[in-house]
Amino acid sequence: MPGSTQLLSAAQARRPVERALLFAGVWFVVAEADLSSWTFGVPFVLVATIASLRLTPAREWRIRPAGALRYAWFFAHQSVAGGFDVALRAIRPSLPIDPKLVCYRLRIGPEHARVLVADTVSLLPGTLSAGIEEDSLTMHVLDCGLPVEEGTRLVEEHVADLFGIELAEEGGTIGPCEVGSVGTCGIGSEGAR
Amino acid sequence: MSVIDVVSVLLLVAGTFFFLAGSTGVLRFPDVYTRLHALTKADNLGLGFFVIGLSLRADSWVVVVKMVLIWALVIVAGATAGHLVAEAARTSGVVPWRKPR
Repeated sequence: MPGSTQLLSAAQARRPVERALLFAGVWFVVAEADLSSWTFGVPFVLVATIASLRLTPAREWRIRPAGALRYAWFFAHQSVAGGFDVALRAIRPSLPIDPKLVCYRLRIGPEHARVLVADTVSLLPGTLSAGIEEDSLTMHVLDCGLPVEEGTRLVEEHVADLFGIELAEEGGTIGPCEVGSVGTCGIGSEGAR
Repeated sequence: MSVIDVVSVLLLVAGTFFFLAGSTGVLRFPDVYTRLHALTKADNLGLGFFVIGLSLRADSWVVVVKMVLIWALVIVAGATAGHLVAEAARTSGVVPWRKPR
Protein backbone atom coordinates (compact mmCIF):
# COMPACT_ATOMS: atom_id res chain seq x y z
CA MET A 1 0.00 0.00 0.00
CA PRO A 2 1.24 3.50 -0.72
CA GLY A 3 1.44 5.65 2.39
CA SER A 4 4.23 7.40 4.24
CA THR A 5 4.51 7.23 8.01
CA GLN A 6 2.90 10.64 8.16
CA LEU A 7 -0.17 9.50 6.27
CA LEU A 8 -0.45 6.46 8.50
CA SER A 9 -0.33 8.41 11.73
CA ALA A 10 -2.97 10.83 10.47
CA ALA A 11 -5.17 7.85 9.67
CA GLN A 12 -4.45 6.37 13.09
CA ALA A 13 -5.56 9.52 14.81
CA ARG A 14 -8.73 9.70 12.76
CA ARG A 15 -9.70 6.08 13.24
CA PRO A 16 -11.33 6.15 16.72
CA VAL A 17 -13.35 9.24 15.76
CA GLU A 18 -14.54 7.64 12.50
CA ARG A 19 -15.62 4.47 14.24
CA ALA A 20 -17.31 6.28 17.13
CA LEU A 21 -19.29 8.32 14.60
CA LEU A 22 -20.25 5.17 12.73
CA PHE A 23 -21.51 3.45 15.90
CA ALA A 24 -23.30 6.60 17.02
CA GLY A 25 -25.08 6.54 13.65
CA VAL A 26 -26.00 2.90 14.16
CA TRP A 27 -27.39 3.66 17.63
CA PHE A 28 -29.36 6.61 16.27
CA VAL A 29 -31.01 4.27 13.75
CA VAL A 30 -31.53 1.37 16.15
CA ALA A 31 -33.16 3.65 18.75
CA GLU A 32 -35.23 5.29 16.00
CA ALA A 33 -33.94 8.79 16.82
CA ASP A 34 -35.22 8.65 20.41
CA LEU A 35 -33.07 11.18 22.30
CA SER A 36 -33.78 9.71 25.76
CA SER A 37 -32.10 6.45 24.68
CA TRP A 38 -28.64 8.04 24.68
CA THR A 39 -28.21 7.12 28.38
CA PHE A 40 -27.69 3.61 27.02
CA GLY A 41 -26.38 4.79 23.69
CA VAL A 42 -23.25 6.61 24.86
CA PRO A 43 -21.82 3.59 26.75
CA PHE A 44 -22.78 1.39 23.77
CA VAL A 45 -20.87 3.61 21.36
CA LEU A 46 -17.80 3.69 23.62
CA VAL A 47 -17.73 -0.08 24.16
CA ALA A 48 -18.32 -0.79 20.48
CA THR A 49 -15.55 1.60 19.45
CA ILE A 50 -13.04 0.04 21.86
CA ALA A 51 -14.03 -3.49 20.80
CA SER A 52 -13.80 -2.55 17.12
CA LEU A 53 -10.35 -0.97 17.51
CA ARG A 54 -9.11 -4.04 19.36
CA LEU A 55 -10.53 -6.58 16.92
CA THR A 56 -9.61 -4.79 13.69
CA PRO A 57 -7.04 -2.13 14.52
CA ALA A 58 -5.98 -1.31 10.98
CA ARG A 59 -7.81 -1.17 7.73
CA GLU A 60 -5.46 -1.15 4.75
CA TRP A 61 -8.19 -1.17 2.15
CA ARG A 62 -10.34 1.50 0.68
CA ILE A 63 -13.51 1.44 -1.34
CA ARG A 64 -13.87 3.22 -4.65
CA PRO A 65 -17.29 4.92 -4.85
CA ALA A 66 -17.81 4.22 -8.57
CA GLY A 67 -16.72 0.61 -8.11
CA ALA A 68 -19.04 0.31 -5.11
CA LEU A 69 -22.00 1.43 -7.21
CA ARG A 70 -21.18 -1.06 -9.97
CA TYR A 71 -20.73 -3.80 -7.36
CA ALA A 72 -24.04 -2.88 -5.67
CA TRP A 73 -25.91 -3.07 -8.97
CA PHE A 74 -24.27 -6.38 -9.88
CA PHE A 75 -25.01 -7.73 -6.39
CA ALA A 76 -28.65 -6.62 -6.49
CA HIS A 77 -29.58 -8.21 -9.79
CA GLN A 78 -27.50 -11.33 -9.17
CA SER A 79 -29.13 -11.94 -5.79
CA VAL A 80 -32.56 -11.54 -7.37
CA ALA A 81 -31.54 -14.09 -10.00
CA GLY A 82 -30.08 -16.35 -7.29
CA GLY A 83 -33.24 -16.20 -5.20
CA PHE A 84 -35.51 -16.92 -8.16
CA ASP A 85 -33.33 -19.79 -9.32
CA VAL A 86 -33.25 -21.64 -6.00
CA ALA A 87 -36.92 -20.89 -5.20
CA LEU A 88 -38.09 -22.37 -8.51
CA ARG A 89 -35.86 -25.43 -8.11
CA ALA A 90 -37.23 -25.97 -4.59
CA ILE A 91 -40.90 -25.88 -5.56
CA ARG A 92 -40.77 -27.74 -8.88
CA PRO A 93 -42.10 -31.28 -8.47
CA SER A 94 -39.14 -32.74 -10.40
CA LEU A 95 -36.61 -31.04 -8.03
CA PRO A 96 -34.17 -30.14 -10.86
CA ILE A 97 -30.80 -30.18 -9.09
CA ASP A 98 -27.51 -31.80 -10.06
CA PRO A 99 -25.07 -30.70 -7.35
CA LYS A 100 -21.31 -31.04 -7.11
CA LEU A 101 -18.28 -29.58 -5.33
CA VAL A 102 -15.93 -27.57 -7.54
CA CYS A 103 -12.77 -25.56 -6.98
CA TYR A 104 -12.10 -22.16 -8.47
CA ARG A 105 -8.58 -20.75 -8.72
CA LEU A 106 -8.75 -17.22 -7.37
CA ARG A 107 -7.11 -14.36 -9.24
CA ILE A 108 -7.68 -11.92 -6.40
CA GLY A 109 -4.97 -11.65 -3.74
CA PRO A 110 -5.89 -9.72 -0.58
CA GLU A 111 -7.68 -11.54 2.22
CA HIS A 112 -10.53 -9.06 2.65
CA ALA A 113 -11.28 -9.20 -1.07
CA ARG A 114 -11.30 -13.01 -0.99
CA VAL A 115 -13.78 -13.03 1.86
CA LEU A 116 -16.06 -10.70 -0.06
CA VAL A 117 -15.76 -12.89 -3.17
CA ALA A 118 -16.74 -15.94 -1.12
CA ASP A 119 -19.70 -14.15 0.46
CA THR A 120 -20.90 -12.78 -2.87
CA VAL A 121 -20.61 -16.15 -4.60
CA SER A 122 -23.02 -17.59 -2.03
CA LEU A 123 -25.79 -15.23 -3.16
CA LEU A 124 -25.34 -15.93 -6.86
CA PRO A 125 -27.52 -18.44 -8.70
CA GLY A 126 -26.49 -21.96 -7.77
CA THR A 127 -23.15 -21.41 -6.01
CA LEU A 128 -22.27 -21.62 -2.32
CA SER A 129 -18.78 -20.99 -0.99
CA ALA A 130 -17.53 -23.85 1.15
CA GLY A 131 -13.94 -22.93 1.98
CA ILE A 132 -10.87 -20.93 0.94
CA GLU A 133 -7.49 -22.66 0.94
CA GLU A 134 -4.57 -20.71 -0.49
CA ASP A 135 -5.59 -19.77 -4.03
CA SER A 136 -8.52 -22.11 -4.21
CA LEU A 137 -12.15 -21.29 -3.48
CA THR A 138 -14.20 -24.42 -2.93
CA MET A 139 -17.81 -24.03 -3.99
CA HIS A 140 -20.86 -26.20 -3.89
CA VAL A 141 -22.76 -25.96 -7.17
CA LEU A 142 -26.49 -26.66 -7.20
CA ASP A 143 -26.59 -27.54 -10.89
CA CYS A 144 -23.62 -28.50 -13.05
CA GLY A 145 -25.36 -26.94 -16.04
CA LEU A 146 -24.99 -23.43 -14.61
CA PRO A 147 -22.23 -21.14 -15.99
CA VAL A 148 -20.29 -21.21 -12.71
CA GLU A 149 -16.89 -20.23 -14.08
CA GLU A 150 -18.17 -17.12 -15.86
CA GLY A 151 -20.24 -16.15 -12.82
CA THR A 152 -17.34 -16.45 -10.39
CA ARG A 153 -15.03 -14.54 -12.73
CA LEU A 154 -17.56 -11.72 -12.83
CA VAL A 155 -17.76 -11.67 -9.02
CA GLU A 156 -13.96 -11.38 -8.80
CA GLU A 157 -13.90 -8.59 -11.36
CA HIS A 158 -16.56 -6.60 -9.50
CA VAL A 159 -14.84 -7.06 -6.13
CA ALA A 160 -11.51 -5.98 -7.67
CA ASP A 161 -13.29 -2.95 -9.12
CA LEU A 162 -14.80 -2.15 -5.71
CA PHE A 163 -11.45 -2.16 -3.89
CA GLY A 164 -9.40 -0.90 -6.83
CA ILE A 165 -7.06 -3.89 -6.97
CA GLU A 166 -5.50 -5.82 -9.83
CA LEU A 167 -6.34 -9.42 -10.66
CA ALA A 168 -3.61 -11.97 -11.31
CA GLU A 169 -3.18 -13.17 -14.90
CA GLU A 170 -3.35 -16.79 -13.87
CA GLY A 171 -6.37 -18.52 -12.48
CA GLY A 172 -10.00 -17.62 -12.95
CA THR A 173 -10.80 -21.18 -13.89
CA ILE A 174 -12.66 -24.09 -12.43
CA GLY A 175 -10.02 -26.70 -11.75
CA PRO A 176 -9.51 -30.00 -9.99
CA CYS A 177 -10.31 -30.00 -6.27
CA GLU A 178 -8.13 -31.33 -3.49
CA VAL A 179 -7.90 -35.03 -2.77
CA GLY A 180 -11.05 -36.61 -1.44
CA SER A 181 -13.41 -34.25 -3.20
CA VAL A 182 -15.92 -35.29 -5.78
CA GLY A 183 -14.33 -33.77 -8.86
CA THR A 184 -15.50 -30.89 -10.99
CA CYS A 185 -18.42 -30.06 -13.22
CA GLY A 186 -17.91 -31.04 -16.82
CA ILE A 187 -14.25 -31.97 -16.20
CA GLY A 188 -12.75 -35.35 -15.50
CA SER A 189 -14.44 -38.68 -15.17
CA GLU A 190 -18.06 -37.66 -15.34
CA GLY A 191 -19.02 -40.64 -17.52
CA ALA A 192 -16.88 -43.13 -15.65
CA ARG A 193 -18.48 -42.51 -12.29
CA MET B 1 -56.53 1.52 -0.98
CA SER B 2 -53.94 3.80 -2.48
CA VAL B 3 -51.46 2.76 -5.15
CA ILE B 4 -48.74 2.61 -2.50
CA ASP B 5 -50.81 0.20 -0.41
CA VAL B 6 -51.34 -2.09 -3.41
CA VAL B 7 -47.64 -2.08 -4.33
CA SER B 8 -46.73 -2.69 -0.69
CA VAL B 9 -49.07 -5.68 -0.43
CA LEU B 10 -47.73 -7.13 -3.69
CA LEU B 11 -44.17 -6.84 -2.41
CA LEU B 12 -45.09 -8.49 0.89
CA VAL B 13 -46.77 -11.35 -0.99
CA ALA B 14 -43.66 -11.75 -3.15
CA GLY B 15 -41.51 -11.81 -0.01
CA THR B 16 -43.72 -14.48 1.52
CA PHE B 17 -43.38 -16.56 -1.63
CA PHE B 18 -39.59 -16.57 -1.35
CA PHE B 19 -39.64 -17.43 2.36
CA LEU B 20 -42.04 -20.29 1.63
CA ALA B 21 -39.94 -21.51 -1.30
CA GLY B 22 -36.79 -21.31 0.83
CA SER B 23 -38.43 -23.35 3.58
CA THR B 24 -39.69 -25.82 0.99
CA GLY B 25 -36.12 -26.17 -0.23
CA VAL B 26 -34.88 -26.89 3.29
CA LEU B 27 -37.44 -29.69 3.54
CA ARG B 28 -37.07 -31.12 0.03
CA PHE B 29 -33.35 -30.74 -0.78
CA PRO B 30 -31.33 -33.86 -0.03
CA ASP B 31 -28.26 -32.72 1.96
CA VAL B 32 -26.74 -29.94 4.06
CA TYR B 33 -25.10 -28.19 1.09
CA THR B 34 -28.21 -27.95 -1.06
CA ARG B 35 -30.30 -26.82 1.93
CA LEU B 36 -27.85 -23.99 2.56
CA HIS B 37 -28.48 -22.76 -0.99
CA ALA B 38 -32.19 -22.51 -0.24
CA LEU B 39 -31.63 -20.77 3.11
CA THR B 40 -29.12 -18.14 2.06
CA LYS B 41 -30.48 -17.10 -1.32
CA ALA B 42 -34.25 -17.37 -1.03
CA ASP B 43 -34.39 -15.77 2.43
CA ASN B 44 -32.17 -12.89 1.38
CA LEU B 45 -34.49 -12.09 -1.50
CA GLY B 46 -37.65 -12.65 0.56
CA LEU B 47 -36.41 -10.30 3.26
CA GLY B 48 -35.52 -7.76 0.57
CA PHE B 49 -39.11 -7.74 -0.70
CA PHE B 50 -40.36 -7.41 2.89
CA VAL B 51 -38.06 -4.45 3.60
CA ILE B 52 -39.11 -2.61 0.43
CA GLY B 53 -42.78 -3.41 0.99
CA LEU B 54 -42.72 -2.27 4.62
CA SER B 55 -40.65 0.82 3.78
CA LEU B 56 -43.50 2.06 1.64
CA ARG B 57 -45.73 2.24 4.70
CA ALA B 58 -43.11 3.30 7.27
CA ASP B 59 -43.80 6.35 9.43
CA SER B 60 -40.32 7.83 9.31
CA TRP B 61 -37.12 7.52 7.31
CA VAL B 62 -35.24 6.30 10.41
CA VAL B 63 -37.39 3.16 10.41
CA VAL B 64 -36.54 2.61 6.74
CA VAL B 65 -32.81 2.94 7.46
CA LYS B 66 -33.22 0.54 10.39
CA MET B 67 -34.85 -2.09 8.20
CA VAL B 68 -32.18 -1.70 5.52
CA LEU B 69 -29.53 -2.08 8.24
CA ILE B 70 -31.21 -5.30 9.44
CA TRP B 71 -31.34 -6.55 5.85
CA ALA B 72 -27.62 -5.84 5.36
CA LEU B 73 -26.75 -7.64 8.61
CA VAL B 74 -28.87 -10.65 7.64
CA ILE B 75 -27.14 -10.83 4.23
CA VAL B 76 -23.66 -10.70 5.76
CA ALA B 77 -24.54 -13.10 8.59
CA GLY B 78 -26.31 -15.51 6.21
CA ALA B 79 -23.48 -15.64 3.70
CA THR B 80 -20.84 -16.02 6.43
CA ALA B 81 -22.77 -18.66 8.37
CA GLY B 82 -23.53 -20.54 5.14
CA HIS B 83 -19.85 -20.56 4.25
CA LEU B 84 -18.85 -21.78 7.73
CA VAL B 85 -21.47 -24.54 7.88
CA ALA B 86 -20.53 -25.75 4.38
CA GLU B 87 -16.83 -25.68 5.26
CA ALA B 88 -17.43 -27.55 8.52
CA ALA B 89 -19.50 -30.17 6.69
CA ARG B 90 -16.81 -30.56 4.02
CA THR B 91 -13.88 -30.82 6.42
CA SER B 92 -15.73 -33.33 8.58
CA GLY B 93 -16.25 -35.49 5.51
CA VAL B 94 -19.90 -35.01 4.60
CA VAL B 95 -20.07 -36.23 1.00
CA PRO B 96 -22.34 -34.10 -1.17
CA TRP B 97 -25.45 -35.76 -2.52
CA ARG B 98 -25.16 -36.64 -6.21
CA LYS B 99 -27.92 -37.06 -8.72
CA PRO B 100 -28.43 -40.78 -9.42
CA ARG B 101 -27.21 -41.63 -12.94
